[in-house]
Amino acid sequence: MEDYPEELRMTPVSLVSIVGCPELHPSISAALSSQQPPMNTLALPDFSKASILARSGKARDPLAPPQAPAGILKKDWLLKHRTRVPAAVAALFRADQVSGDPAQWLQACSDLENLKSAIQGKNTKLVVVLVQAQASDELSEDVTVALRKRAEIDSRHMIVLVEQDETEWSRSLSKLKNVFAELCSAFYKEEGRRIKARIEKRNFSSVELSIRYCFKVAVYAEFRRDWPEALKFYEEGVRVLREMIGTSTRLPPTQRLVEIKAVAEQFHFKISTLLLHAGKVVEAILWFRKHIRSYERVVGTPEVAFLHWEWFSRQFLVFGELIETTAATVPDTLSPRFGTADNALTEWEFQPAYYYQLAATYLREKRYAIECSSSVANLTTEASGIPESVMPSVYVGQYVRLFEQGDTVSVLPLSDTEYTSYALSEAERFQDSYEIIALFRKAYESFQSLGATRMASACSRGMAIEYYAAGDFSNAKQLFDGVAGLYRQEGWTTLLWENLGYLRECSRKLNFPKDFISYSLEMAALPLFSGSGEENRENKIKSGPGGSPTISRRENIQQEVINVLKRKQAPDGTNDEFDNAMEETTHLDIDQISPLRMVLTASVAFHDQSVKPGSPLLISVSLLSHLPSPVVVDQLEVQFNQSDCNFVVHSAQEDSPPLDSNLHDQVVQATSLTLFTNKWMRLTREIKSGQSGKLECLSVKATINKHLVICCHAESPASMEDFPLWKFEDHVETLPTKDNVLAFSGQKLIQVEEPDAQVDLVLNSAGSALVGEIFIVPATILSKGHAVHSGELKINLVDAKGGGLLMSPREAEESESHDVELLGVSTVDGKELKEEVDSIRKIQYSFGVVSVPTLSEGDSWSCKLEIKWHRAKSVMLYVSLGYSLGSTEEEALLRLNVHRSLQIEGQIPLLVTHQLLRPFRREPLLLSEIRSLGGDDKKCSLAMNESNMFIVNARNCTEVPLRLHSMTIEPDDDGKQLCSVQQVSGISNGHAVIAPSEEYKGIFSVNPRASSSNFHLGDICLNWSRDSSLGEDQETHVIMKQRLPEEIKYSLVDSQNFVFSGAHNHAAFILPKSEHIVSHKLVPLGSGSQQLPRITITSVRYSAALTPSTSAATVFVYPSEPKFNLETSCSTSDECVS
Amino acid sequence: MASTACFVIVSKNDIPIYEAEVGSAPKKEDLAHQHQFILHAALDVVQDLAWTTNAMFLRSVDRFSDLVVSVYDSVVHTRFMLLHDSRSDDGIKSFFQEVHELYIKIFLNPLYLPGSRITSSHFDTKVRALARKYL
Repeated sequence: MEDYPEELRMTPVSLVSIVGCPELHPSISAALSSQQPPMNTLALPDFSKASILARSGKARDPLAPPQAPAGILKKDWLLKHRTRVPAAVAALFRADQVSGDPAQWLQACSDLENLKSAIQGKNTKLVVVLVQAQASDELSEDVTVALRKRAEIDSRHMIVLVEQDETEWSRSLSKLKNVFAELCSAFYKEEGRRIKARIEKRNFSSVELSIRYCFKVAVYAEFRRDWPEALKFYEEGVRVLREMIGTSTRLPPTQRLVEIKAVAEQFHFKISTLLLHAGKVVEAILWFRKHIRSYERVVGTPEVAFLHWEWFSRQFLVFGELIETTAATVPDTLSPRFGTADNALTEWEFQPAYYYQLAATYLREKRYAIECSSSVANLTTEASGIPESVMPSVYVGQYVRLFEQGDTVSVLPLSDTEYTSYALSEAERFQDSYEIIALFRKAYESFQSLGATRMASACSRGMAIEYYAAGDFSNAKQLFDGVAGLYRQEGWTTLLWENLGYLRECSRKLNFPKDFISYSLEMAALPLFSGSGEENRENKIKSGPGGSPTISRRENIQQEVINVLKRKQAPDGTNDEFDNAMEETTHLDIDQISPLRMVLTASVAFHDQSVKPGSPLLISVSLLSHLPSPVVVDQLEVQFNQSDCNFVVHSAQEDSPPLDSNLHDQVVQATSLTLFTNKWMRLTREIKSGQSGKLECLSVKATINKHLVICCHAESPASMEDFPLWKFEDHVETLPTKDNVLAFSGQKLIQVEEPDAQVDLVLNSAGSALVGEIFIVPATILSKGHAVHSGELKINLVDAKGGGLLMSPREAEESESHDVELLGVSTVDGKELKEEVDSIRKIQYSFGVVSVPTLSEGDSWSCKLEIKWHRAKSVMLYVSLGYSLGSTEEEALLRLNVHRSLQIEGQIPLLVTHQLLRPFRREPLLLSEIRSLGGDDKKCSLAMNESNMFIVNARNCTEVPLRLHSMTIEPDDDGKQLCSVQQVSGISNGHAVIAPSEEYKGIFSVNPRASSSNFHLGDICLNWSRDSSLGEDQETHVIMKQRLPEEIKYSLVDSQNFVFSGAHNHAAFILPKSEHIVSHKLVPLGSGSQQLPRITITSVRYSAALTPSTSAATVFVYPSEPKFNLETSCSTSDECVS
Repeated sequence: MASTACFVIVSKNDIPIYEAEVGSAPKKEDLAHQHQFILHAALDVVQDLAWTTNAMFLRSVDRFSDLVVSVYDSVVHTRFMLLHDSRSDDGIKSFFQEVHELYIKIFLNPLYLPGSRITSSHFDTKVRALARKYL
């Protein structure tokens, strides 16, 4: 837009001229230009300069036949009207110039005449201004009238300016302004009307004039700010101009087209400006669209196509700049839905970036056209040469040659050939690339800020292509890389293909073999839709250096990579690319997000989920490639996090032995390692699991053509993602492993378990523990196959019912006491572990850690855990042994653990109750008093100074016999003074043994010596231990207890083999240690082994029944004897039930 | 029939799952390429527009010189994009509606994974026939 002349860019402003009185000019022109609408002033200091107002051109002979115009628009016409043709002229005279001296009067008259003759023939209006010093300086009426007559003007156009008085000055100045405004409007209207009349009467000889008239009318309308009329005539001009393309023959075709387009550009610019300034954005855009549509196809001959594209691109650029400068926004009245019937515009059409981007696109079109034209023109111009001294002519869009012959300079028209070679040489001087890049960058930034990433990346791609064309490959590569990312993500493979083609070439030019290989491989692995497509030069330009996306091209590219790899070692050294940049081997790293995943994917699955260390395990390695041709892998190296497990698979074709002899690697030979496109290559190997812990397959390295190492990150089949680009409707999804389960759940890592501990930990316990005793749990460590180093025994006591801690929360707050307490650990030989200095020993109430001395194989060690129960509670005892196999650092890291647990019940050993026996009641029966005393269980009254019997029962609640060592009453201080307690029956021979559920009774005599209402006797102290000797005495004890007669009942049941006499049911009393005989008479009914009638004996007291066994109640009956066999049976003697 | 028309179905991840040059103009690789380029850039506008309306047929959303991009928002944000130079809105609408029916049939195939490329020759033939009929 800046290229346009200023008069075209600015709105026309009326021009007036003032002559004479130069000292007043600054203030007058300032006042006029501050007018609304403003007026420009052409100030002439004195009347001698008035001649420049006169018509400059030669007077045309009105009788001569009208000459055909040589062009459509004269370049300087607009400028002339803005600067040299005033609408009105004011002649300024000082009052004393005209009133006093006759010589001065004459001078003034002649000046006025000169001025009149200068403006003669034009419609320029004349104004006479008389400048007075003061308002009081009255001029005589005669002078003014004479002057008016001389000037031949209306009295209204005779104005008096008062110089000295401020108010008078501004008043008279505003009067002058009004007169000027009125005259300007009249002038431009008249001029317009004059030209318009010619159009209406079709009074013109050629179509060029018609266009020129339209332009003039429109400009005059603009002068008087009649926008609708200006617009109307500009549009009319454009219409006629468009029609002219096919009809005009005035100039050779190429130049004609150039001229028409140049004029059209001016018209279009005027229209767009008018529309945009009026806020009619939608109309402006629609107009622009129309303009573009009507000229889009008017390319002209191929040699000058570049001129068209340059012009075309400029249209977009200028319109974009116009939209940007007027800050056009989407009008609110417009429907927000773009592209509908009521809003045919798209969202982007309101954005300048849209036009910049298109301008850049068409400018690139120009560059292509120049390239084409230059190659053709190079042949021809050598002969004719580029014409010299070509310059723009006076007409818009025309060029002429200046021809000097001696002193005379003449202007000669150009032939089309001359013009073409001139234009081409001019165009070649400019570096369009930078302009294209700048335009794209502008659009890119704008779209980026609008959040339109795809449009932005389209611009970015444009920039990159330009950089590429300009030979700036590093910039191009960087931009292409960014764009390729978006296309990869969205899977537009055709676009990605083109992009990668550029990237490939960039890296070739930049000498980056690794990038070249990776881009080539990615291209070769792209899925493509089209299968056909022929190579031609035009394709090469448009679809980039990658060529058209076809299967054969993909195969070519893959072959190229192989060639590049192979040429490395070609002896003849023909390799011109990458010769110094190629490394010995090229490493490509492919991870899960790499675009090269399509090239090679490795899926690794262990067949098991966990394994014992050292045992064999199966692993499946599957490789997939989407490259079009088969890939031969020389060597496959599978790497794990435990390097001992790594293994290498060699292809059998490779004759040479492996050079890298990593000793720990397992080397396997395979018949053939060839990857076919889109087919999994599956290998299953057996490897030895390493150390315990996680065994993970990290990567699979495939060596291709000896110099390309592709390192694929191993993927688990279970978590493998599919290939978004390679998802086809009819593609059967192939699985990496044949085993379906493995394909969906296989993992690339496996848990190697700890080795089995070969040490036994034995916990013994002697039943349940009793509250109060120190309960000993012996723990024994037996080494069966492992030596124990730096062993550690951890002991933990946990409430069996859950809850963890062995004390109630309330107690925990109040005291330190625990229900169950781990007191200590002692070794078998009785030596406390405390004495060992470096041994770890940490015993808390429920937790303990004890170090175990180093044990060699086959040794054993034991210790005793001392636990004390304060309360009856069931407790889980957890003991765990942790040890390592050796004392070295490496071995120490691997620790083995053995865990054992034991549940131990805590029981209360003895239940103690007591009762008091009083000799007799001596006090009167005073019920109330007794009641009040007897209300409390703990309290009872005793007779004073009498011996009261006090019986203490201790009942064994456990299942083991207990030995009671002593039972005493320890009176407290009160008790000693107030009463005496004597033991009546004590424990004989040191201790008494109480069998389970037995009771021991101690009898005391209590003799109160003073009367007291509240009397505390003392505490009962029992001293007991477990009875270790369990004897037969127990049975005698039992029998001794039972000294009562027993009542028994017995009953007989009928048997089918016998008849018997006597009662069926009866009862009897049996004294202890005595027999009771029941006799019945039986008659057998058959011979052989017969069942006697069953007898059942029931003890009434105990409701226990006794039935003799079947064998004991069977007799054999002899058949031959005719005599009845009488028998007495069933001597029931002792039915003791214990 | 339109001289230039490029029809693309874009899945909801913006991945093209079907492409066809359905214009009557002689096929040129570089043009196909250019067309895809325009269609891809138009996705920006489509994304914004799709949320402003309930209509499935979004009409012309973008233009590149005389080529217009019309869009039809099909099931689960699958978009039919047509780059064309003809003006008949009704024809394009009918074309889209019929292709929509075809696509639904593909979509309802239990073996069809949504988002994978449509390579069925039957579908291709039908689409081309529809293009001849309406565009």
